[in-house]
Amino acid sequence: MTVTVRVPGSLKQWFGGRDEAFCEGGTLGECIDQLDQRFPGIRDRLLSEEGRLGAVLIFLNGENVSKLDGLATAVRDGDEIGLIPFAAGG
Amino acid sequence: MIIDDPRSKFIFLYHPLVLMGRSYTVYQGREMTNGEVLEYWGKWIVLGDRPSLDDLAEKLDPFVENKEIPCIKYDRSPPRGLGVQECVMMVYCDRRNRDEVWKILARFGIKLKAWVTERDTMEMWLPGGLLLERWMSAQGYDEATRNAVREDAGKRLNHIFDHPEEIFKSWEQ
Repeated sequence: MTVTVRVPGSLKQWFGGRDEAFCEGGTLGECIDQLDQRFPGIRDRLLSEEGRLGAVLIFLNGENVSKLDGLATAVRDGDEIGLIPFAAGG
Repeated sequence: MIIDDPRSKFIFLYHPLVLMGRSYTVYQGREMTNGEVLEYWGKWIVLGDRPSLDDLAEKLDPFVENKEIPCIKYDRSPPRGLGVQECVMMVYCDRRNRDEVWKILARFGIKLKAWVTERDTMEMWLPGGLLLERWMSAQGYDEATRNAVREDAGKRLNHIFDHPEEIFKSWEQ
């Protein structure tokens, strides 16, 4: 089961200079944990100090995950996670 | 048509009717109320450098002209004061049409799919909202100016929340 993570150019350095990465997991939180193993520190970039959403905007198939189930949002094979700077949503 | 006025920090793509006083917040030919905008209006977010967004704007303009896309705006330069290093393009539409608009964007190679509702954006710019506070810090405003800005933002935005039946009116940007 593979989930694609996409980032804009300004965040490519988070993923070794690439604008997409791949991960696996049953939930968004599990995907972030797995990404953090491959790209150490990514969890701190994506989540607040308290481990909550809000440091960047995270989308699952285009939908803001804060309107879904947050880190508990279920992900499925072929899903796409998008990350953009928080302020870009305003 | 592309409206590139150097006095604005944004470059806009509108249908010419908007310049004749018609609203761009339209669904099925009817101007939307504040309540409808809060419920349905939003935008697909596209990030990129200025040349790439200029190029994309040229390609999307025909879709604005034929009313498949209601309105687009994008940054003249990256809003670094808000912590964003790229220009941001906002492709506006009603949620009920967003899949059709996304297909147009995907046709031009856009892959990162990010839908932000206008309600969410307005909440970020309300007094105490993260973006309003961050923007005022970047401007270096003193506390008196901050309070005046908060009051103005609150007055404008709360009017929209408090009067859902009125036709939505945007403000100069």
